[in-house]
Amino acid sequence: MTETWYLYMFFAAALVAVGLYALLTMRNIIRLLIAVGIIGKGISLALLASGWAQNLLLTAQSLVITFIVVEVCLVAVALALAINAYRHTKDLDVRKLTRLKG
Amino acid sequence: MTLQTLLLIGLIVFSALALLSRDLIKAAISFAAASLFLGIVFFRMGAPYAGVFEISVVAGLITVLFILAVALTEKKAEVRESPKARLIFPLFFIVFIIIDVLVMRGLIRKIPTLPAEAETGLFGQVLWGQRTFDLVGQVAVILAGVFAVLALFRKKDLDD
Amino acid sequence: METTLIVFFLVLPLALAAVLPLLGRLSKRVLPDILANAVFFVLVVNAFVLGRRIPAGEPLILQASWFGEPLGLRMAVDNFSLFLLLAVALVSLCVGLYSISYMEHFGSKPAYYALLLIMVAGMNGLILSTDLFGIYVFLEVAAVASYALVAFGLGRDEVEAAFKYLMLSVAASAFILISIAVIFFMTGSLALSDVARSLAAMDAGPVVAVCSALFLMGFGLKAALIPFHAWLPDAHPSAPAPISAMLSGLLIKVSGVYAMTRIFFHVFGLTPALSMVLMILGSVSIVLAAFLALGQKDLKRMLAYSSISQVGYVVLGLGLGTPLGIIGGLFHLFNHALAKGLLFLNSGSIQSAAGTRNLDEMAGLARRMPVTAVTSLVGSLSIAGVPPLNGFWSKLIIIIALVQAGQGGFALIAVLASILTLWYYLLFQRKAFFGKPEERWKDIREAPFWMTASTVVLALLCIGVGIFFSPVVAAWIEPAAGVLGKGIQFVLGAWGL
Repeated sequence: MTETWYLYMFFAAALVAVGLYALLTMRNIIRLLIAVGIIGKGISLALLASGWAQNLLLTAQSLVITFIVVEVCLVAVALALAINAYRHTKDLDVRKLTRLKG
Repeated sequence: MTLQTLLLIGLIVFSALALLSRDLIKAAISFAAASLFLGIVFFRMGAPYAGVFEISVVAGLITVLFILAVALTEKKAEVRESPKARLIFPLFFIVFIIIDVLVMRGLIRKIPTLPAEAETGLFGQVLWGQRTFDLVGQVAVILAGVFAVLALFRKKDLDD
Repeated sequence: METTLIVFFLVLPLALAAVLPLLGRLSKRVLPDILANAVFFVLVVNAFVLGRRIPAGEPLILQASWFGEPLGLRMAVDNFSLFLLLAVALVSLCVGLYSISYMEHFGSKPAYYALLLIMVAGMNGLILSTDLFGIYVFLEVAAVASYALVAFGLGRDEVEAAFKYLMLSVAASAFILISIAVIFFMTGSLALSDVARSLAAMDAGPVVAVCSALFLMGFGLKAALIPFHAWLPDAHPSAPAPISAMLSGLLIKVSGVYAMTRIFFHVFGLTPALSMVLMILGSVSIVLAAFLALGQKDLKRMLAYSSISQVGYVVLGLGLGTPLGIIGGLFHLFNHALAKGLLFLNSGSIQSAAGTRNLDEMAGLARRMPVTAVTSLVGSLSIAGVPPLNGFWSKLIIIIALVQAGQGGFALIAVLASILTLWYYLLFQRKAFFGKPEERWKDIREAPFWMTASTVVLALLCIGVGIFFSPVVAAWIEPAAGVLGKGIQFVLGAWGL
């Protein structure tokens, strides 16, 4: 069981890592949101795989569904912010959003 | 198991495509394809509800939202990623996989587990009977999302 | 009976938020103002009533049922969570009152109050949750509402700050959830008590260490500890002033410090290594953020950096893990919530009256805005730790605890940094309020009634808690620290059922 769980966790970790990398390096705002979605995929895979390895698939599915609902709300708010930012800068480059200096 | 592995590889390939393709519409479609793969993986793990949700909500709804956003922000908003980020991407990925295989594999083998009590009943009973608190949270987060979008798209000058 | 009171914390704000935009069609301003503040007031009263009913050192557990079948809806209040519920209710009441005048020119008050109520409901839900995943879900509820509130002004800076805040929060959630998934795999359960029991029964040291590191990154980002602080100095100053007060006063503490403390103390158990890491992170935050605050020209950015520094004190005290250290950390959390809430509200008054946040442009505002000047002096001195204000006592307790535990080095850092804090707050006072008023500040008048009223309430609370610190500590802080001091035994014994 642990071996298969490792397989799933390997891919889940890879998805999260790729998403985080993109979040830190990419410039296009819409692409940043896609990165958020990819991190979300990795996390749903990790949650479901953990439940699957424990034979708790029903609980794990409940968690995944709650997580997906949260993610949809998050992406909707993020897109609303992105479109607002676009109205101000007429550009989707996140580097143009540099008025504030960290 | 090999089919499952192939599906997972497809998932990660399409995810990478979604991040690397220049055209945002293509990126959104790759994202949807990745969701489709993940949904099938969920089905094959015996989790039909999660699979349906992944395919309908993530592949469907979120992709529509992305395409809507691309349409709203027009075509000229095409932003070139810096070439550095694209070049480092495969390098980063290979390094990550090496670390993953060498370090995490050893670590994960050591994880002790306690077998849980088997669950009984139907999916609905588990969701309603055991994760009720999460359902309250879902209601709250949906309310938050709706009001947030309403507030962000309000017409400021027309108020009051 | 008591259990019904617990439900109010979550359901009242949520229910009002759901109907407020509809009611807002009847009356755009008056009704939302009255109803939202009524709910906040009820929550304050509720916290006091519950405080009398709750037995010391024992949790009160609500187990909902549906036609005799138990549901998975379980909320628990113990002295630790009660104390935070009180802090949330108090600060949100003051923020709500302040918003009556301040949010006039932002428009769409019903949506604003709805989001504020959801944020409060999210924080209360997180505090009441007995389940790892429940903690995550309600953390996200409060966070989603806060992104919209940071960007509520719809200006360029606001939207930009909210977007960055959202992106870093996603990273934080990813770390938290991966750790939850690993724990779920190991123990097969998510309830805090079950997880604590399983982890105690098995030998899982290295994996628990990895999970702790992941939680530390996730909640550290939420609490804006250095080096995870990059989003805060953008997000907090850009938000409307009452929201800055909520974020700095409450949100970073509830979704960062509270969640971290609950998990580390009651699920994993505080190991010496973890305690050392927390103390180092805390003192690095104290010192670096204090130096960064010193260089700021923008009043709200200075306050934001000061928040990072003060959260460092809280984490330093909690991380020490001795009973006195925990008391000091929790007391400082409470005091900072009051004082920093007060200062951010004051910054809003200054900004709406003078139209600037730049410290170099201000001068001599004390004559024009006497109430704001006096209340912000109280807030500044409280955070800087000047006796007899509340901030002095909590810092003193932390420092005594550090000395008692033989951590002289950390105590020295705490003392020196508090001198630095006093320095930059006095600089702020001198630049903003003293000196010769410029010609162009001639027409400035004191802020409207509700804005001054709520700052006066907070200032009086700061003074009152400072003077009557020993009954306050005995009634609210000591029981909370006692609950934390019991470690995982507390959760195993009382929450187990």
